[in-house]
Amino acid sequence: MSDWSKVTRPIPVPNEWTKPFWDATRRGVLELQRCQSCGHFQHPPYATCVKCIATDLKFEAVRHDGGGGAGTIYAYTIMYHTGDRRFASAVPYASIIVELDDAPGALLAGNLLEAPYTEAKVGRRVEVVFERLNDDITLPQFRLARTASAD
Amino acid sequence: MWENRCKVAVSGVGFSKVTRSAEIPLAAHALTAVQEAVADSGLKMSDIDGLATYPELPATGHAEVDGISIVSVNCMMAMLKLPNLSWHIQVGTTNIGGAVQQAVNALLAGVCRYAVVWRAMHNPRGTYQNLPGAQAQGAAQFTAPYGFGGPGQGMAVAYTRWLERHNQNREKMATLTVTQRRHTQHNRHAYFYGTELTREDYLNSRMVAYPFCLFDCDIPIQGAVAVVLTTADRARDLKPRPAYLAGYGQRLHFEVAGRIGSLSNYMEGGSSSAKLTWERSGFSPQDVDVAQIYDGFSASVIYGLESYGFCPEGTALDFIQDGRIELDGELPLNTFGGSLGTGRIHGLWHIIEGALQASGRAGSRQVKDANVSFVGASAPIVTGTTFIFVGDPY
Repeated sequence: MSDWSKVTRPIPVPNEWTKPFWDATRRGVLELQRCQSCGHFQHPPYATCVKCIATDLKFEAVRHDGGGGAGTIYAYTIMYHTGDRRFASAVPYASIIVELDDAPGALLAGNLLEAPYTEAKVGRRVEVVFERLNDDITLPQFRLARTASAD
Repeated sequence: MWENRCKVAVSGVGFSKVTRSAEIPLAAHALTAVQEAVADSGLKMSDIDGLATYPELPATGHAEVDGISIVSVNCMMAMLKLPNLSWHIQVGTTNIGGAVQQAVNALLAGVCRYAVVWRAMHNPRGTYQNLPGAQAQGAAQFTAPYGFGGPGQGMAVAYTRWLERHNQNREKMATLTVTQRRHTQHNRHAYFYGTELTREDYLNSRMVAYPFCLFDCDIPIQGAVAVVLTTADRARDLKPRPAYLAGYGQRLHFEVAGRIGSLSNYMEGGSSSAKLTWERSGFSPQDVDVAQIYDGFSASVIYGLESYGFCPEGTALDFIQDGRIELDGELPLNTFGGSLGTGRIHGLWHIIEGALQASGRAGSRQVKDANVSFVGASAPIVTGTTFIFVGDPY
């Protein structure tokens, strides 16, 4: 299992588009940008709806845990290279891309925590865990869905 | 079909020495490549009246010093002092292929007569990708905190999606890397000229970012290549046999920055560019005799073969097997060794090889009876451009 204890992660800097996302994760809630015209969820946040070009976008909560997980691994990579020394103590580690059940098409990056990196596979069920970086920023992260890991 | 089909041609080509690290300033590499390309055409430097490049250094966190880490149009102007210069440009929304396309447009518009396009690439000292500092700004705020750094990992996540969705095996990529390395042995300018690669070397190589091992990634080098373009009627009077441009295209698709892992970004980028190229040239994938497809990371070749229409989605790793991409195969591929063989120059070397194959000037790696020569000059995502050259216009 990757040892994340010595990793110093770069701290996200919220901007006009992304501040509501980080305000929500600090409260332990996952909110994604949603088009008020066609209902499409998207991530990363953008100026317009990527589906219908509407500009009336609001952040709304999506389900981040629960029985059977909240989404699936859409893609992943296992990082071995230690070019970025801050992550060197964690290699090999799984960086994953997740598609949430409530927000098809929106893709969230994260790490697969609490499991060997070999558990990262496209289609595997995951749920969100929140990792506090400092008073302002809490990262959404992922672990295998409980029902799946209990099998 | 395009009204300007085969009205512009590639004439001379030039290469600097390629080295692993920066022994001389990059400007000297670029100057050598340009001088060689002009000489190969049989022109004098004073004939050159158009300049174009895409100067970006793809490494991050390094100082940009003109003449050292990039070679801009201004740098080249200052070195050459061209007495008849009448047009120049640096491009942004496309890679070096866009600089070639702009030179084509300038020649067709009659605002220059002999344009030279170069690509110079620096290999900075130390870590190539000096990743974001303590803070992650912009699109990186959703990726950098998770250890997503350089472009390799962004390509790697799309590649796992492709592999597992299509129930494919990364070991099949050995065929591409080994075949291209064999092609490299016919290209004395390439970094890996004289260095063999076996299937076992590939399969036993250390992982960088799974599914990419070391040999799936082009090696950073210091060097430059250059090409002279002119109108078809002028090209016929020059020393080399012309390679006529039958058509070109550029990617017309862009997804929100920071959205990584999606294959549609590659597939729609590639198919939009190829569609323009097939329509303008009047050719189809079945007409192609030889292909150069950008391979900065090996998986780019998969997305290129599939999105350009050479094989159905999900089948590219099977398509490249059984000798198909050998010099005497059904679709000889990256016949100069590709970026995996030459080192990281981005797409201009692919364009040069496409032109050399079309004009029958590829020497011991020449594909027999090659006429229709296809080039995908950069990854279909973000900066993709495509070209078709022919030796005999028809």
